[in-house]
Amino acid sequence: MDLYNLRKQFDESGMMMCFNGPFSHSIIEEIGTALRNYLAAENIAKAAVLDVFAVYVELAQNVRNYIAVREINQGEAAASIITIARWNEGYAISSGNMVLQGDAAPLCARIKEISNMTPEELKRSYKEQMRREIPPGALGAGLGLLEIARHSSAPMNCSVRKVDETYTFFSLTAFI
Amino acid sequence: MAELKITQTTTTPLISFDEASATLRIAGESYPENSFAFYAPILDWVKQQLQNNSTLIVELTITYMNSSSTKCMLDLLDIMEDAHARGVKVSIVWNYDPENPRSFELAEEFCEEVSFPFQIVALHP
Repeated sequence: MDLYNLRKQFDESGMMMCFNGPFSHSIIEEIGTALRNYLAAENIAKAAVLDVFAVYVELAQNVRNYIAVREINQGEAAASIITIARWNEGYAISSGNMVLQGDAAPLCARIKEISNMTPEELKRSYKEQMRREIPPGALGAGLGLLEIARHSSAPMNCSVRKVDETYTFFSLTAFI
Repeated sequence: MAELKITQTTTTPLISFDEASATLRIAGESYPENSFAFYAPILDWVKQQLQNNSTLIVELTITYMNSSSTKCMLDLLDIMEDAHARGVKVSIVWNYDPENPRSFELAEEFCEEVSFPFQIVALHP
């Protein structure tokens, strides 16, 4: 397989790092470490490095938790993508994964709702959600999207593409 | 009281209790695979400690924590707040790197949630 074209496309779109495949905790950890080393070499503020890293962790863990909770962690459907690219003066971090047909619309609605919140509303919602009981078996605290929005410098962007009768491919991008 | 000591990893902080100073130290970064599973035994330990003792200082030096860890941290603060209401002497010392404003902001938000002493200290390099 000649990967030159894929690489060229990455370069032209400002892509810095990309992973495609099933996420495990150790992969999330390793890519995170590599990302921080990469950003540290870019000579940007420590806070900016941590913002990009924080958004990356939330996106990656959201995908992993979703796939585990929905039990689609077998076979092709489990493969997910995470990318970190340059965007204007900052960075765009994206995740892409399969979601069950019925989950796509509520997810997009929630993202739109969060993206329209002011910083004060985000803080209030975060605190409210932090006080909520965690349903048994949940792997996250339901805070990931709010956390991402709090680090973002522009509204999150999501898109969906129907794959078959069961799955929709869901992409989410956050901008720092 | 059972000893509490958990070695630091890339994604989980060091947890260690010093009995002489009644200080529980939590240091490092926190984005475990499953935050609830990681913190559950620590929260149980703190609950027990606060039943049987009159003082607990929690010293945190956390550079980064993910969102599910912040939820666990709030649970820790709530346990300490309950003990404070019963007259147990509890306090938090939160150390932060001045180059990392996110750690300071996080401390300020946690500080708003409690009524017991919560000190935010800038670490000098």
